[in-house]
Amino acid sequence: MENVTIIINGREVEAVKDQSVLDVARENGIHIPALCYHPEVTSSGGSCRVCLVEAHQGGKMRLVTSCNYPVRKGLEIKTDTDLVKRIRKGVLELLLSRVPDSGVIKDMALKDGITEPRFFTDEGEENRYKCISCGLCAAVCEEVVGVSAISMLNRSRDKAPGTPYHKPSTACIGCGACAYACPTEAISMRDKDDTRRIWGKQFTMIKCSVCGKPYIPDAQVDWIVKTIGKDRAFFDKCPDHR
Amino acid sequence: MDVDIKKVDEIISRYDKSEESLLAIMQDFQREFNYVPEEGMKRLSDYLYVPESKIYAMGTFYRALSLEPRGKYTVKICMGTACHLKGSGQIMEVIDRELDVTRSHTTVDQRYTIESVNCLGACAMAPVVVVGEDYYGHMRPSKIMDVLNKYK
Amino acid sequence: MESIRSFEQLEQYSQRLKASVNADLPTVMICFGTGCLANGSREVADAFTEEIKQQGLKVNVEIGLKTTGCHGYCENGPLVALRPSDILYLRVAPKDVPEIVEKSIKNNEVIERLVYTDVNTKEKIAQYQSIPFYKFQKRIALRNIGHIDPTSIDDYLLCDGYKGLSKALTMDSDAIITEVEASGLRGRGGGGFPTGTKWRSCKAVASDVRYVMCNGDEGDPGAFMDRSIMEGDPHSVLEGMIIGAYAVGAHMGYVYVRDEYPLAVKNLQAALQDARKAGFLGENILGSGFDFDIKISRGGGAFVCGESSALMRSLEGKVGEPRAKYIRSVEKGLYDKPSVLNNVETWNNVPVIILNGASWYAGFGTKGSKGTKVFSLVGKVNNTGLVEVPMGITIKELVEKIGGGVLGGKGFKAVQTGGPSGGCIPKKLSDLPIDFDSLTEVGSMMGSGGIIVMDEDTCMVDVAKYFIHFLVEESCGKCTPCRDGLPRMLSILTAITEGKGKEGDIEALKELCDVLSYGALCGLGTSAANPVLSTIKYFEDEYSAHIKDKKCPAGVCKKLITYRIDKEACTGCTLCVKKCPQDCIMGERKMAHIIDESQCIRCGVCKDVCNFNAVRIE
Repeated sequence: MENVTIIINGREVEAVKDQSVLDVARENGIHIPALCYHPEVTSSGGSCRVCLVEAHQGGKMRLVTSCNYPVRKGLEIKTDTDLVKRIRKGVLELLLSRVPDSGVIKDMALKDGITEPRFFTDEGEENRYKCISCGLCAAVCEEVVGVSAISMLNRSRDKAPGTPYHKPSTACIGCGACAYACPTEAISMRDKDDTRRIWGKQFTMIKCSVCGKPYIPDAQVDWIVKTIGKDRAFFDKCPDHR
Repeated sequence: MDVDIKKVDEIISRYDKSEESLLAIMQDFQREFNYVPEEGMKRLSDYLYVPESKIYAMGTFYRALSLEPRGKYTVKICMGTACHLKGSGQIMEVIDRELDVTRSHTTVDQRYTIESVNCLGACAMAPVVVVGEDYYGHMRPSKIMDVLNKYK
Repeated sequence: MESIRSFEQLEQYSQRLKASVNADLPTVMICFGTGCLANGSREVADAFTEEIKQQGLKVNVEIGLKTTGCHGYCENGPLVALRPSDILYLRVAPKDVPEIVEKSIKNNEVIERLVYTDVNTKEKIAQYQSIPFYKFQKRIALRNIGHIDPTSIDDYLLCDGYKGLSKALTMDSDAIITEVEASGLRGRGGGGFPTGTKWRSCKAVASDVRYVMCNGDEGDPGAFMDRSIMEGDPHSVLEGMIIGAYAVGAHMGYVYVRDEYPLAVKNLQAALQDARKAGFLGENILGSGFDFDIKISRGGGAFVCGESSALMRSLEGKVGEPRAKYIRSVEKGLYDKPSVLNNVETWNNVPVIILNGASWYAGFGTKGSKGTKVFSLVGKVNNTGLVEVPMGITIKELVEKIGGGVLGGKGFKAVQTGGPSGGCIPKKLSDLPIDFDSLTEVGSMMGSGGIIVMDEDTCMVDVAKYFIHFLVEESCGKCTPCRDGLPRMLSILTAITEGKGKEGDIEALKELCDVLSYGALCGLGTSAANPVLSTIKYFEDEYSAHIKDKKCPAGVCKKLITYRIDKEACTGCTLCVKKCPQDCIMGERKMAHIIDESQCIRCGVCKDVCNFNAVRIE
């Protein structure tokens, strides 16, 4: 692990070679907005373009996504120049016109002074609801959970996550990791009594033997038991009462 | 739709057992069955240990593949720049007007699938239309339906 | 074809081959490039086979018959070339065949009506090298196409095939890279990145596994250079890759071919098999100890897969989505291993650069762009086809001297270069020498070499709309600027072409262009601004006319034009009346017809069928 010193907004900071600019910034209390990146998911990032910053290296400058730009010796980063602000504002305006129903995006856009996008908004039949097609849900399902129940389908404006044929997936274990990870709360997961509904599939939840609260889908327990051999009895109690 | 699984397996066996072969296998499915069948993708998923969702995603991404059966004749209208300048848009309009084409670009009677392609490399004969394997150069809006009606 | 295990054996085989061939054998070479095939060259070939049988001529003894790749002069196909006389016959039909065999093959006579005729002087030119279309070309990448049967490895060997390889295998791998660097060869696929530098960077990365790849996903509409090379001279690409693999230390290579090019795939497969049998691929190539093999991979119909990182994902069996190129693919490419990806034309140049030397190649072209480039010259130009010229030729020379001028004598307006990533260059810059840097400086780019000629009847706003529409369809959908920005640009452009443009539209377009240029993930997005910005820069008056006056000066945008029948020219033939899909043309026989403008949908059918040019667009 090689240590490097880089400059962010005029300040020298310590970093590890190939660490992402975003991680380094966060470690040093410097705020850069981001949506599609998750530090635990290496295949995430690069999609929403909200985390763009100016990277000065080798005499050249370009805008890069800080979530996956590797830190190397001689790098200088500027997170709040006029150019960065202008382009970020443009990106947010596009996101807002795509998902005008999303509270998260509305808030982010408002911070940059955007209340109403100038361009046509996706509405009616093409209502994307809150999904910004960033791919984080599919990345989590593949990399962290390991079942790949959903994937990013189609191209262009229709790119969106889904199960094969939009039918309930045999691979889905109802863990809800995708819904938790989604930056705009676009994935619908409904827990009612002891059932959970997600991606069109219904799951029965196991109830805690102590407090009686349904807390984990049966299918998820099956899967954990199968893959890592954990004793099923472990799941009789919810995390609060184990 | 029932698909001959033996044929599916035969197609799979033509290639190396590697993820690299996925697209080529799916294209052979497309050629054989006129679409990429669900059973074919399931079989591939089991054979290569690739999640079904990833194979399905490929089916939705690549234009060469269709998840629904294509029409008997694939009509390709070249929308390359040279063809566009010489009026391929007007030819497409005639087709949209005269034929009952659904969202998946196949006519209701399943006779034609209409595709716009980006440059067939025959720019000297722009505008170019291909029906099946037959090339038609210097196509005109007034002639396109006569050509299509030749194909029963 | 025997298996060749050493340089000496290759030399001996080549000598024997040369000796066995009768260089004076009258041979008919029929062009089987896509253009000529579509025009009927297969029927011409069949007619020759039939005639030869009928006359009882012995093939390869009394007459030779070959089918070749694209000759380039597509406007005048089917093309038939004769050897050794080098006569070129144009627009040959099956009915001409008996005469060709009788007069030209048996009696060495030229058939005047089939040769090139100068449009002005009426001069007849029989030998193809003297035809203006060919005279000003310098064919290096296209050196063999049209002269060899692409499915014959012997034909390739007869043209010094695999000599570059055998020379390279005696050189130090570093020396090969130095030679390629010295030649000044820059990527021919569009990036224009110095090839030698790319190879050197790849070699410098420590790794046990490396890959070389060929980008045959030629997606620019209007470009068919790579197709012609893959179809017409597949061995040249393979030879280049073997040399490159040896230079950087790769043992596995891939050729990624666009799905829409089945003949290219077929000819490459056949060439691969022959090359393996002969010993140019596989283990211990020519006894050098170097192992290398190649696989062919077919695309799936996605323009974005021409982007290098998307291509590699597609090769790996995944969806063709690009990734951030902050770590370059020479460091982490295919399967995260150091990789070299080069274009078809780039690989094709490598064998002759090694064989003839870097300074020979650097003798052509300009200071910053050495060598030659294959262009597909298409659009509103007389001689549509494939040409290869030294870098530095001006746009004017290309369009006029080689292209024969604008179709129908109309006014030359602009050329579009670089496909959807490129821009339009107006007439006033037609003295611009064509090379990588000069094109970039004026807001366009070389791209893969498509040159679209546009005339006074081309609407530049419509052109911008066309390219953005193309990109909207081909966007992979991963990043916000491209996926969500392009459709909004398209809706603004569409509104402008429909007379709904308003104040502030140009500014909005420029802003969106910036979001794309700075914010997009890959080259498709970052260069999408070019068609829009270049047309705004050079044709602002056309945008103004659409937005302010609600008019389309070129007469293209449907909602801004009207179709009118010229009373004087109309003969009253009722043809348009019958064909009008809206039934909105009134008129009886011998009376001037009238279009009801309120019903007219501007489909263009009436203008299309009128034999008297009486339908006008205003």
